[in-house]
Amino acid sequence: MSPRQLPPVIGASVRRSDGQDKVRGAAVYGMDHVEPGMLHARLLRSPLPAGRIVRLDTSRAATMPGVRAVVTAADAPHLSGWVVKDQRLMAADEVRYVGEPVAAVAADTVEQAAAAVAAIDLEIDPLPAILTFDDALASDARPIHPARDTYTGAGPGGGNVAWESGLERGAVEDAFAAADLVVTDEFSTPRQHQSPIEPHVAVGRFEQGRYVVHSPAQYPFLVRDRVAEFLGVRSSAVRVIVSTIGGGFGGKLDAMLEPFACLLARRTGRPVRVANTRAEELATASPRENAVVRLRTAVRADGTLLAQEGEVIGDNGAYSGETVFCASIPPVLLGATYRIPNVRYRSRVVYTNTTPTAAFRGVNAPYCVFAQEMHLDHIARELGVDRRELRLRNVLRAGEEMVNGQPLPDAALVDAFDAVEKVAPWAELTAARRPYRGVGIAAVTWLSNPGPGGATVKVNEDGTVTVVSGGAEIGTGAMATSVRQIVAAELGVPVEDVLLAQTDTDSASFDGGAQGSRTVFGVGNAAADAAGQVREQLLKAAADILEAAPDDLELAEGHVAVRGAPHKRVPIATVASTALWSTGPIAATGRHIAPPLPFDSACMSGAVFTHFVAATYHVHLAEVEVDPDTGAVRVLRYVVAQDVGRAINPQMIEGQIEGGVLQGLGYALLEDLRVDGGRVVDDDLESYRLPTALDAPPLEISLLENPCSYGPFGGKGVAEPPIIPVAAALGAAVADAIGRPVHELPLTPFAVLAALRGEQDGVGKELA
Amino acid sequence: MTYSFHINGHPVEIGSAAMTGLLEVLRDELGLRGAKPGCGEGRCGACTVLVDDVPVASCLYPVALAQSRHVRTVEGLAAPDGPLTPVQDALLEHGGVQCGACIPGVVMTLTALLERTLRPTPDQICDALVGNLCRCTGYHKIVEAAVAVGRGEER
Repeated sequence: MSPRQLPPVIGASVRRSDGQDKVRGAAVYGMDHVEPGMLHARLLRSPLPAGRIVRLDTSRAATMPGVRAVVTAADAPHLSGWVVKDQRLMAADEVRYVGEPVAAVAADTVEQAAAAVAAIDLEIDPLPAILTFDDALASDARPIHPARDTYTGAGPGGGNVAWESGLERGAVEDAFAAADLVVTDEFSTPRQHQSPIEPHVAVGRFEQGRYVVHSPAQYPFLVRDRVAEFLGVRSSAVRVIVSTIGGGFGGKLDAMLEPFACLLARRTGRPVRVANTRAEELATASPRENAVVRLRTAVRADGTLLAQEGEVIGDNGAYSGETVFCASIPPVLLGATYRIPNVRYRSRVVYTNTTPTAAFRGVNAPYCVFAQEMHLDHIARELGVDRRELRLRNVLRAGEEMVNGQPLPDAALVDAFDAVEKVAPWAELTAARRPYRGVGIAAVTWLSNPGPGGATVKVNEDGTVTVVSGGAEIGTGAMATSVRQIVAAELGVPVEDVLLAQTDTDSASFDGGAQGSRTVFGVGNAAADAAGQVREQLLKAAADILEAAPDDLELAEGHVAVRGAPHKRVPIATVASTALWSTGPIAATGRHIAPPLPFDSACMSGAVFTHFVAATYHVHLAEVEVDPDTGAVRVLRYVVAQDVGRAINPQMIEGQIEGGVLQGLGYALLEDLRVDGGRVVDDDLESYRLPTALDAPPLEISLLENPCSYGPFGGKGVAEPPIIPVAAALGAAVADAIGRPVHELPLTPFAVLAALRGEQDGVGKELA
Repeated sequence: MTYSFHINGHPVEIGSAAMTGLLEVLRDELGLRGAKPGCGEGRCGACTVLVDDVPVASCLYPVALAQSRHVRTVEGLAAPDGPLTPVQDALLEHGGVQCGACIPGVVMTLTALLERTLRPTPDQICDALVGNLCRCTGYHKIVEAAVAVGRGEER
């Protein structure tokens, strides 16, 4: 792209196409979707974390007023799963977590459905619940899934290990033997809930022999496939229509309520709505996994990292969602930012009798980076080396290889450190020491999700352009601004004239979903490919009208013009309507597939994610003040330098950084989805504490343009990563402020106060 | 019971149990689905409407309390086919809208704030917004939008 000048619409902070409806209250979210004759469903959920179902009698419930259908596992007996097919829609003979669906009722009203659910006779013979990693991994532990190894998609592992992945490289023992210093740490982190403002909701109906479901789905094609699998039909028998999405953050990637709406719609012959209450949302809807990270590192006296051993254990919960899919990220991620020549990493995802976990923005990276960066601070402390200096000595430079042998020709980590330094000089911040004030700095290399996708671009007869794709607008503006800008740039039309068709699995080509920042990258690439073909069609059709060769024509300002003779031009509308009768309608479908990148596959085992596509580079810095009387942490200053590839819409990117940082702040300081005895404690927004406007720290953002050779106009994934280094930067700053190490999140006032008062030798580490 | 009050300037009579939440009445009886049922427990603020110009969480606000009062919802701010209000326009101009599920409530809170405080400071704006959770934006651009309206940078 570089030799050609960028079209002005690339880099413009244009408004979102869905914005007017959103500020007027006119946008129809999943929670707003209604249909004539619609019934309402409620679920019977397991009250126990583990046990065998000895009686399930729905006969009384079925005769209650307003009840139209009651379904149980017998009505949907098929095993399903995103990766590991270890789950049924409803528990068949055994329950494995509190909140697991056991039956569902459709009735005329929500109240009638709830009354019927209460009238279902369910008796469970309890089993001892397995709630901790130690219990799950004990040699004599009861397997939560005795049939684990027979499941389709079952990965490496065994017993209660749902998935195991590893990476080994170099001569680890030799490096440890030669080290001047060996440092060991263990970190543990909580569950974090996505908590979008809109809880999960779906409205299903059955028509022409197929299931149709309206859902605020982030990954409509996955929802389609999962509904089909649960209900035992082929995937084309399910159609997912995506409503306006009231937030997702990973929580709305996989199917959750859609199969219930579909099954009950078929059974009743009526549209059926299923919606989570906020309590159900917090208790049953797939949070980020709690985890333990153990790191042991060999270093030379000058701070050079020689070798590292790492173990990451993540909680799968009772059934497998995306968490197993992501098990292979930590081994690559832990060695993606700093040069560590000899490593042995093991990552395990473990079944417990708790709510299944799944993707939350950044997946396992926030805790892996928290652990690695706190550990680096520990090493710096032991060596008496400046923390930033230690990082600069070891950080990967352009052209060096990540731990998986993948070269990073465009690594911009040093540039990101420099950009932060320009805004917040480290020496000044660390020289002017004040009591209970601290600074932290953290870096990460992250990926753009490599999932494939297609997009269709058609030129309408009035000269406007419609993009038909499976891209889901989850709020980032990726579809509502950036993809439209990319198409506008390719075709030389005003961005206001680029329209988006409603996302619908019937009309769109497959798309890998709004996850891992892949929409601008993936849908953007596919739409650009389609627009390029459309451009050729337009030039060919216009050539006849303008009596010029296609090669002499260009697209600009909504016209096709003869290059060098701008008065000789014809509106695209004319070309498109004329083309109907000459070349046929102007339309094309484009495709996106991430290019193959070199890496060393031999060093990895159990790996689904093997390498980083369209890698991005990030450095965050935080300055905090701790109140010694209350333990409260105030963030005085927060600095971000982020490689964005190309800033296609700078304002939208800033919005992603601001929002990602605050979610990261929530993870670091406030949010802790506690599970006690298998029951989620924090099942309302009173005790599950989301950040408010008063928690938002002052932010200074540097967008670094570092174009990706295979991204649209150089674009890379930008929306997911700003959450990742936040807990690390804040954790380091708090540890610096209180002069004690930090090993656990969140850093609530209670935890900080306990550390300050010497009740522990740091946050999360008991005194011996 | 029947309750009489004004919604967006129009008189309405609602036959409902006294403790029925105003949000349910708005959405299910009056077809005003702008205010969102984000949590149903008065925490998220997505259901914020104005009762006699004061923001309330309509999910917990009993319809009986609306008797003889003036209720304003997001649908009543700008005519459906008319221009946006300064608050609505500023939120888009400053990039303060992402998923937008919180926005109907945010718009009402900011509208009330700017009606009683001509030029609110960022601190005053954050104080006013403390009952409106936004999981997407990090609030900065929402605050910037409100500051801009106070400075008269929007119509």
